[in-house]
Amino acid sequence: MILAERVTKRFGRNTAVREASLTLGAGESVALWGANGAGKTTLIRCVLGLIRFRGRITIGGHDVLRRGKAARLLIGYVPQEIGFHDELGVREAVRHFSRLKGLAPRGAEEALDRVGLSDHASKRVRELSGGMKQRLALAIALLGDPPVLVLDEVTASLDAVGRGEFVALLKRLSGAGRTMLFASHRIDEIGVLAERVAALDKGRLTSVMPCREFLAGLGAGEVLHLALPAPLRERARSALMGAGFDARLNGVGLLVPVTTGRKAAPFRVLAEANIPVDDFEVVGVAARAEEHT
Amino acid sequence: MATRLVITGVIGVAALGALIGPAIGAGSSDHAPPAAPIERGASGPLGEIGRRLRDAAPGAVVEIPAGVYREHLRIDKPVRLIAVGAAIIDGGGSGDIVEITAPDVTLKGFTVRNTGIDLDKENAAIRVTAPRATIEANTLDDILFGIDLREAPDSRVTGNRIGGKPLDIARRGDGLRLWRCDRTLVEGNTIHSGRDAILWYSTGVVVRDNRGHDCRYGLHLMFSDEVTIIGNEFSRNSVGIYLMYSTGIEIVGNRLLRNRGPSGYGVGLKEADRFSVRDNLIVGNRAGVYIDGSPFTEARPGEFSANTIAYNDAGFIFLPSARGNEVVGNNLIDNIAQVSVSGRGSLEANRFWKGERGNFWSDYTGYDQDHDGVGDFVHESYTLFENLMDRRPSLRLFLFSPAQQAVEFVGRALPAIRPEPLFTDEVPLMRPVALPALAGARATRVGSLLSGAALVLAGAGLIALGGGVRR
Amino acid sequence: MTALPIALVPVVSARRAPSTARNIATVARRELRDAVRTRWFWLYTLAFASLGLAVSFVSAAGAGGAGLSGFGRTTAGLTNLVLLVVPLMALTAGASSIASDRERGMLAYILAQPITRTELLLGKYVGLGGALFGCIALGIGACSIIMAWMGAPSSPVAMLWMSGLALLLALAMLSLGFLISVLARRSSVAVGTAIFVWLTLAFGTDLALMGGAIALRLRVQSLLALSLVNPLQVFKLWSLHAIEASLDVLGPAGLYATEEYGRGLHLIFGACMGAWIAAPLVLAALLFSRRSPL
Repeated sequence: MILAERVTKRFGRNTAVREASLTLGAGESVALWGANGAGKTTLIRCVLGLIRFRGRITIGGHDVLRRGKAARLLIGYVPQEIGFHDELGVREAVRHFSRLKGLAPRGAEEALDRVGLSDHASKRVRELSGGMKQRLALAIALLGDPPVLVLDEVTASLDAVGRGEFVALLKRLSGAGRTMLFASHRIDEIGVLAERVAALDKGRLTSVMPCREFLAGLGAGEVLHLALPAPLRERARSALMGAGFDARLNGVGLLVPVTTGRKAAPFRVLAEANIPVDDFEVVGVAARAEEHT
Repeated sequence: MATRLVITGVIGVAALGALIGPAIGAGSSDHAPPAAPIERGASGPLGEIGRRLRDAAPGAVVEIPAGVYREHLRIDKPVRLIAVGAAIIDGGGSGDIVEITAPDVTLKGFTVRNTGIDLDKENAAIRVTAPRATIEANTLDDILFGIDLREAPDSRVTGNRIGGKPLDIARRGDGLRLWRCDRTLVEGNTIHSGRDAILWYSTGVVVRDNRGHDCRYGLHLMFSDEVTIIGNEFSRNSVGIYLMYSTGIEIVGNRLLRNRGPSGYGVGLKEADRFSVRDNLIVGNRAGVYIDGSPFTEARPGEFSANTIAYNDAGFIFLPSARGNEVVGNNLIDNIAQVSVSGRGSLEANRFWKGERGNFWSDYTGYDQDHDGVGDFVHESYTLFENLMDRRPSLRLFLFSPAQQAVEFVGRALPAIRPEPLFTDEVPLMRPVALPALAGARATRVGSLLSGAALVLAGAGLIALGGGVRR
Repeated sequence: MTALPIALVPVVSARRAPSTARNIATVARRELRDAVRTRWFWLYTLAFASLGLAVSFVSAAGAGGAGLSGFGRTTAGLTNLVLLVVPLMALTAGASSIASDRERGMLAYILAQPITRTELLLGKYVGLGGALFGCIALGIGACSIIMAWMGAPSSPVAMLWMSGLALLLALAMLSLGFLISVLARRSSVAVGTAIFVWLTLAFGTDLALMGGAIALRLRVQSLLALSLVNPLQVFKLWSLHAIEASLDVLGPAGLYATEEYGRGLHLIFGACMGAWIAAPLVLAALLFSRRSPL
């Protein structure tokens, strides 16, 4: 359904995606895994035909650069955060995108109902919470039941509860038979949604493997995910590295592999370094750092 | 040798032709009766009117029934020649048509048409060379000169319609010309598409209730004194009324509209003296009033009062030589330049207020706190842009643009480069002096309402389309 | 949230992407709707109408009821107003259009739908053009009605010409605004640039030309030709020509234009304005679809 061949994208001297090739069969769900800056968003924009690149990508046989409209007609897209005009109403937004997808605007109510936004249909988009905005984006993406769903870090700006709910909703609505390509650096999401995982590092597709294998490859143990204020992250990382933890930066904080029974140790290290921890979470499996960030 | 003969022959024939040609032309002219017969006496066959005139006794009334008369007339005895019905005298495109050489002749109710186009011979529809003629209610059409009065004092030219030939302005003749015709009355005539209506050396003439449009000069006075010009309308001429070297002139209650030729004056005064310009409506001309060397002597100040001078490119243009004018109690409304001096002269020797009374200036920015009808501040006029335009006329291209405003603003803000005020009115009027109403105002009002409504509806419709109450 | 049957989707549907015209209409409608709901639209309309009224009122106070009309200060004042307000309005609206969408991350989102970049650009152009026309029509129309009501009507023909030509000017400036918007990375930069361009067109070029005319003693032909480079001048000359049937009020250069080209001036002005509308827009569309960032 999605076919990417030797996709290369340069921004000036900086190569964001290098020679990436990837095939998604119909109904297959693939996660793009990698740190911020690894090229996930760029690759997704290439898939959507939003930017020009070298190489070739087809969606359902339509070349995204030459027949972008036809290709995108097959895609429902959910970004990390949607931006709308302040004054646009929720129902109005859905109708607008229905028209762009060549659908009758009548379907708006049903689409909103599907994501549980019926009660908010008369609100303005700016009055919605972050989670509701993402559900709206999902409702719009699912308009016309596109065979392909492309998601870009869709939970990155949600809190833990919102994230859980949204992933559950996605799992339920993405449905059987829909092809899905999504970028994420969250192991829990990948575990729930992906069949295969494609790991990106500095623009290269380093490995593509079944999800189970990927998770297994991450090894035993647990990983602490620490949410920290952005300016302190680098300092926190050095402090933890100094104490022998293999800490890695990700989008919102640090991933710290820990052995069972020592989960509080990193907190002690950070407390001594006078670095506050906003939030934390235990992620089920530990990543072996050398491959996966 | 043969060649030489041929060439000589050709040249000879050509020369002969050149000599004879004009003579033949003069004899036979373009069409049937040559211009000559009337001037030289009855050398051609007389037409029907001609025969009637020949047979009439002096003092008789000769009535001519309707019909087209292709003839040229010479009236050499005092008769009253009157058309009964549509009597048309057609000159056939040559020479003059009616010549009046006897005093006390009346010519009334005819259509006279189709003169020659010889500007040197001044082909005229009606030429009068004797006193006390009455030229009344005739229609002159397709003529070079219309009514040409030469030394015909005490005549009356009333109710005629005079329309020139569609020629280039340089090849037209005068619709009406008076030459040494003292005490003549010119009333209720309409003159269009001619060159000028002109008075030469004629004293005591009254020009009343005439209309002149699409000519060069609506009315032109040369060396003509004590002339009263009243209630006329001159529109779309090059110049409305132009006085030259004339004295004792009253210009009252005329309408001078959109005279925009190369000079384009509503009223022009060149070395005129003892004149009074009152109650005129002067609108849309290139220059409302143009004053050059007038008044010529200090006998009397030039008087301008109760005129409405509006929407002209310049309300007044003074040449630097102009002095001794009093402009009091006029309305100066929305002229692009209200008053300007050609070249870099000053207006010191002219006055724009007298006693407790100035003029109404639409650009006056002061107010009247004591409600005496007179602005509490002096009206002074100086604009940097006008000053620049005077120096470089091509800068007029930037009129009505924000850049012009910017220049004016700078002029106001920086006194250092502000020009001296052109003139001052110490007692500017707060309300206009009685304004004449123009016809068509009502139609404009309805049209304005309708077009405004259409625009608002269009705008509102678009917004409704966009604003869409439906969410 | 009701329990939903999970859609058994992925047969590649036979649905076709909407036509270019439909996409443009969809975007245009939303753009118009957005514009009408913003404060700037009403502020500009209000400012335009009230300034117009002030101008006409001040200049009509003199003529009071006489119905004297001509290209006097009323029309001149309105021309001046249009020359100042409309370009500012259109340039800033155009400049912030693409740039602010980009800043809000909306551009990438919309372009991920089945729509091409050119369609999006043209749709936004049409929508904003409509909003600007609404603003102009409301402003001049209200002005016209109230002046008629007060007994100092302006010529209806003049008003209609003025509105039509103001729309063309707005479209030209909107094109230029779009070009700025496509090139600029941030909307603050775009709007700043737009204001700079506005100042240049409204004052800069004319003042420079005036200086040139004085210093270099430019011939009227050159002066006229150079002034036609500025779309604001084209608007002014065109409305004068249309309302007055002659440019002689503009002195030697105007006389030259009227005598040399006569009625052909409509064509000349039309061509200039057309070029100003089309060229920046085409350029903006090309740049936007080729290389503009998201």
